[in-house]
Amino acid sequence: MKKALVILVFITMAVSVFAMGDKEGTAAAGSAPATIKIGATWPLGDITGKQGSMAAQQAVDEINAAGGINGHKLELIVIDDELKADKGAAAIEKLVTVDQVDVIIGGMASGVALGQIPAMKKYGKVVVATGAASYKVEEALGADANWYFHLHPWDYNQGQSYADGWAAIQAKYPTIKVGRIFLAYEEGAFGKASFDSSKVLFGNAYTFDGAPFKSAAFGGGDYAAVLDAAKQYKPDLFLWAGYDADALPMLEQAKAMKFNPGIYLGAPPGWPADFGKSPLANNVMLYGMWAPAVNDISPASKKFYTGFVAKYGVEPATYFAPLSYSAVYIVADAIKRAGTTETAALIKALEATSYASPLGQTITFSPANIIKHQGIRNQKILQWQNGRQEVIWPFESATSKPVYPFPAW
Amino acid sequence: MANKRNATVLVGLSLAAVAVIAVWKPTVLIYGIQAAGLYASIAIPMGLILGIVHIVNLAHGEFMMLASYATYMLCSATGMDPFVAMVPTAAVTALFGFVIYRLTIRQALKAPELNQLILTFGIAIAMTQAVNLIYTSQTRKLSFEYVSASIDIGELSFGIFNFVFVLVAILMVVGLRIFLTRTTTGKAALAVGQNPKGAAIVGIDVDRTYGLVFALASALVGMMGALFITRSSIFPGVGSPFTMKSFCLVAMAGIGNIPGILGASILLGISENFLKAFRGLRGWADIVFFVLIITVILGRSIRGKKA
Repeated sequence: MKKALVILVFITMAVSVFAMGDKEGTAAAGSAPATIKIGATWPLGDITGKQGSMAAQQAVDEINAAGGINGHKLELIVIDDELKADKGAAAIEKLVTVDQVDVIIGGMASGVALGQIPAMKKYGKVVVATGAASYKVEEALGADANWYFHLHPWDYNQGQSYADGWAAIQAKYPTIKVGRIFLAYEEGAFGKASFDSSKVLFGNAYTFDGAPFKSAAFGGGDYAAVLDAAKQYKPDLFLWAGYDADALPMLEQAKAMKFNPGIYLGAPPGWPADFGKSPLANNVMLYGMWAPAVNDISPASKKFYTGFVAKYGVEPATYFAPLSYSAVYIVADAIKRAGTTETAALIKALEATSYASPLGQTITFSPANIIKHQGIRNQKILQWQNGRQEVIWPFESATSKPVYPFPAW
Repeated sequence: MANKRNATVLVGLSLAAVAVIAVWKPTVLIYGIQAAGLYASIAIPMGLILGIVHIVNLAHGEFMMLASYATYMLCSATGMDPFVAMVPTAAVTALFGFVIYRLTIRQALKAPELNQLILTFGIAIAMTQAVNLIYTSQTRKLSFEYVSASIDIGELSFGIFNFVFVLVAILMVVGLRIFLTRTTTGKAALAVGQNPKGAAIVGIDVDRTYGLVFALASALVGMMGALFITRSSIFPGVGSPFTMKSFCLVAMAGIGNIPGILGASILLGISENFLKAFRGLRGWADIVFFVLIITVILGRSIRGKKA
């Protein structure tokens, strides 16, 4: 009996001790500030997506080093969408259900975004999207997607900004005349969409024509036929919409064919490494959102650029890096102001965003054609000058004046 | 007799078509022949491997891609011209090809063809991913003044640099013909290609010959990789479209018919550029490639049945 009593007392004590221990553990966990999780998807095999994720991590590290948000540390969880819609959709499912993230950022290709939208709608988490330019994504989102904040301009925003830009440049620099525009476009979906939207935008104000070519990115790389058509058209502005793999070979063939438009403009998503070092690159114009030259006019750009180079030892190759960096800061700022990651409060805080971004412009959100929260609406017109991309337009962000005409070979 | 008459009629019609094109749109011929040179000089090494080792190397384009990156790094670091750099690049790719053969292809020579295809496909993916990890997907291109060399004939200005690839293709065909018919190793390779068992019976080291042929083809494709950077940007996926194109040209020419690859390339290059000359037909240039292949292979099969 005595022995049984001793065992009972021992068990009671042991249970009490374990219970206390557990209670203490819970208390400790409860008192420690929870980490705020930001989920993200980018195509990590592509330099644009890879550097987007690197820049986002840079922003997270900077914020954490400065004490986090309201005492909470940020954690970035990135999943590679591999530029595939199904992988992108699965990534959203995992981020929400397994990783239990508070906010989702990222994205690059419109095709992937289209695949992700059903999962995004299902969970209704706040999304700050860095990619997806196609109007089809906006149509798929619909007017009810008030949790979706789109940073990248839609394709129609971009087209309109180009039209505005050329009108403004001609008004400011009367020697620059744009009457005839020829668009050489890669024969895939990206190029065809560029041609269709440009035709609508430029078709009334300018004489406009174009022809397709097979991009070197897909096994092409022979531009003779398209350049021949362009040469016969005698455009004032020759624009090509393709990929970075087309940039220098097309210039070399244009030179060989003595094709000399007044303005030679490229619109690839990125440029080849060391493109600026080629003598042919000088005075080629381009569309983009950011270049290292923006450091001259924007302290935010300089901070981002210096931090990126110091952290990774390479230059940001495309504007997706500062755009992704901006996405983290926008989210962090909104959480700080909202004091919570609760969806309704966070949406309200994001709607009040006014962020002086490294892209050289302040980002705010306002309604687009369908969605309620559109961030950036314009691309910039830039020009390669002595190995550097200089901003020509908008004039308030300009780092240099345009060189015109494109010099004869 | 009828065959000879048919052949004469075919040659006559072809010459007439070429003459009409030359008068109507000379650029179709110029750019068509230039494209043919590039296609042929990349496809010929694959034809050599397929004709003698009897392996469809689905990593063919990736070998060229690796050689392009090696040349790019060499030229960037030393300022060397790719025409000079192609010598060390060819030597390195020959060695690399030999190692790949010994470590992988050799083990699958007696395996079913599907296994061989999967093996070389796996090698291709491994190469692409390795380059993507090391150099990222950002494209690279060195700029050379001579690439934009041109000629003016009347109002027509056109680039002449790409004729280099025509010259390279002709040199490859002639060089391989001399190697295969005039050298002991070449004759042995030809014998192995025709009948490996018979060649082994007469004392030819079949395995060594396969290794040598694979190394030689790798050297040729490495050389092409070096020259490729003069005209094209490079990125991890740059080689794979050329694998498919090369295989189709080899199939069109007939296995083991190396001069035929040059002929098939000329037919393809001119046909593609002929379609590109018509505004509404530019997008069909890729389809003509497969139409030609299907026509040629079907024609050959029907002739074979009749025979």
